Amino acid sequence: MNLSDSKKKLALAGVVCGIVAAVLAATGNPANMAICIACFVRDTAGALKFHSAAAVQYARPEIVGIVLGAFAISLATKEYRSTGGSSPMIRFVLGMIIMIGSLAFLGCPLRMVLRMSAGDLNAWVALIGFAAGVATGAFFLKKGFSLGRAHETNAASGTVLPILMVGILILSVCTTLLAASEPGAGPGALHAPILISLIGGLIFGAFAQKSRMCFAGSIRDIILVKSFDLISVIVGLFAVMLIYNIATGGFHLGFSGQPIAHSAHLWNILGMYAVGFAAVLAGGCPLRQLVLAGQGSSDSAVTVLGLFVGAAVSHNFGLAGAAASAATADKAASAGGVSTAGQIAVVICIVVCFIIALTNKRKMAK
Amino acid sequence: MRKKELKLVVTFHTTADAMAMEKTCKEHEVNGRLIPVPRAISAGCGLAWCADLTDRDSVLDIMDQVGIEHEELHECMV
Repeated sequence: MNLSDSKKKLALAGVVCGIVAAVLAATGNPANMAICIACFVRDTAGALKFHSAAAVQYARPEIVGIVLGAFAISLATKEYRSTGGSSPMIRFVLGMIIMIGSLAFLGCPLRMVLRMSAGDLNAWVALIGFAAGVATGAFFLKKGFSLGRAHETNAASGTVLPILMVGILILSVCTTLLAASEPGAGPGALHAPILISLIGGLIFGAFAQKSRMCFAGSIRDIILVKSFDLISVIVGLFAVMLIYNIATGGFHLGFSGQPIAHSAHLWNILGMYAVGFAAVLAGGCPLRQLVLAGQGSSDSAVTVLGLFVGAAVSHNFGLAGAAASAATADKAASAGGVSTAGQIAVVICIVVCFIIALTNKRKMAK
Repeated sequence: MRKKELKLVVTFHTTADAMAMEKTCKEHEVNGRLIPVPRAISAGCGLAWCADLTDRDSVLDIMDQVGIEHEELHECMV
């Protein structure tokens, strides 16, 4: 079935992905997180002991599923193309920036939309920063920004990340080598059953590959070519999650009392500004990077490695945002927010984005 | 809704090449517009140059003149 020849069909792909997210949320994944790429890469990085934040360690089968779903569908449709060589180390740094910015806000663009659909106004504020970041990236694309072209590589090269993902899945299911958050420790302990997570990831990855779902790309295309095709996918996903949240009582309009969120508006805006900017420079949001890596791009696979290292850096050095929390018997209420170190990191990330944008120009073919 | 027509679609190795194409065509008054690469052509998400089939020669000429390398030329419904 061609999912991309009309906005309605693209929206339908978004609806399918929204249903997957709703099922995952209903069967145990953390509230408003469902299938957040940044959160789940961060949890997987924790499981692999890249960081030791006890609250966020779990090898998320959704991440494995998304990569393998995109890999399988691209093989089946003969769209698998092993490519690489487009400024990999710059993409690695952009991956780190995307993760550091996402964790300051507490979510990637996908979770931003999921939080928006649950009435979390902090996410609507962050959208301002994200859209401004994408617009800045688009401005530099117009000015000739380029990381250079990718070239065809040996077919095996593009299979490395999918194989590594299978390895993580096997280790998590068959051994006790990987870390896992203890029940009650935090979001890492909340998860859907493995099989549901894996199947959900596979479906999500396959539909994201067919529809080219991308949160940064959808805004970029509106700015650059006034195309509303990609945003149709996001609207479909948003609509399903809005209905799900209203139907299950999860919709709460407001800034406070939102699950795993904080109201440090400036840092929500700047964190997502860095994410939007870096995602356009890297050619896609975290979800899109997983999908492109699945369909053979080693450049995107390197960006995914950057996401993992960015998650480790964020938690090892206290850069990630802290969620607001209500008072309990043992603890006073906390407004949460981003630490001074986290704030400095976000500013550095934005500066680095500008340096990358200004120093990588298109070369003439002759 | 606009009716789809058979068009010439030029894809590039990078988005920057597509942006350069837009700038060049505007400067040299070559007809066409930038579009997202049609999904039927590619699983990638870059931009492509879309022109009337009758403008094929002028599009190829201008790319040759200014040194913009295309990836592929397609004729498809846009």
